[in-house]
Amino acid sequence: MAEDTRTTVLQPTGRLNMVAAPALKTLIEESVAEGRDRIVVDFTDVVFIDSSGLGALIAGLKATRQAGGDLRIAQVPEQVMTVLRLTNLDRVLRAHRTVADASHDW
Amino acid sequence: MTGDYLLDGLAVPHSLTLLHDLLEQVGTDHPELTASDLMLFETAVIEVAGNVVEHGHPPGEVSWTFRLAVRADRLEGTLSDSGEEYPGGAWGTDMPDTMEEDGRGLALATAVLDSLVYERAGDINEWTMVRRLT
Repeated sequence: MAEDTRTTVLQPTGRLNMVAAPALKTLIEESVAEGRDRIVVDFTDVVFIDSSGLGALIAGLKATRQAGGDLRIAQVPEQVMTVLRLTNLDRVLRAHRTVADASHDW
Repeated sequence: MTGDYLLDGLAVPHSLTLLHDLLEQVGTDHPELTASDLMLFETAVIEVAGNVVEHGHPPGEVSWTFRLAVRADRLEGTLSDSGEEYPGGAWGTDMPDTMEEDGRGLALATAVLDSLVYERAGDINEWTMVRRLT
């Protein structure tokens, strides 16, 4: 099987708010620019997200899809899941149970 | 059990961390609050405060005071800031299209609160947030 050079896993930590969101957005853009346009964001160590964090995910979703890839989320905690539902973003960002679940069948 | 909290500072991104920390302290002090009530109230506080950080004028020079009252039936927060009058006008609970990157803050705050009121009092902006406890 050929090595998968298009998939990468990002692991933000703590609170994904106005302070941290720009860095995540930049990381995603850099990854796409390097040809790794299938991105899994692992939420294991995220405890909180706000609308800035959501904005970074949507920017990432658009950037990966424009490049022919996708952005997926895994291990999503309750606060993040609630916020995704309230903003209807669960329709475009489906939460995968594990990073492994999110990392195949692109 | 009731409790009152106060936090002063500048409306800059780093101050959001102090608000998060304050709400964490509230959770420690008040184990009777459900994780869900606290989490949703924190979501609203950070959205409203983030809105002031983002739109407050002059940028970086707006100071604020956050007061939080824990009562038997509700959590009530008031964020007062020294910035120019909030120019945004009314807001609702309608969310932007899913692929929009901005514009969800106040709609999200409204969705998790029982009331969100903005008032201009003299040269102060005042945002009052109430969540009735479940």
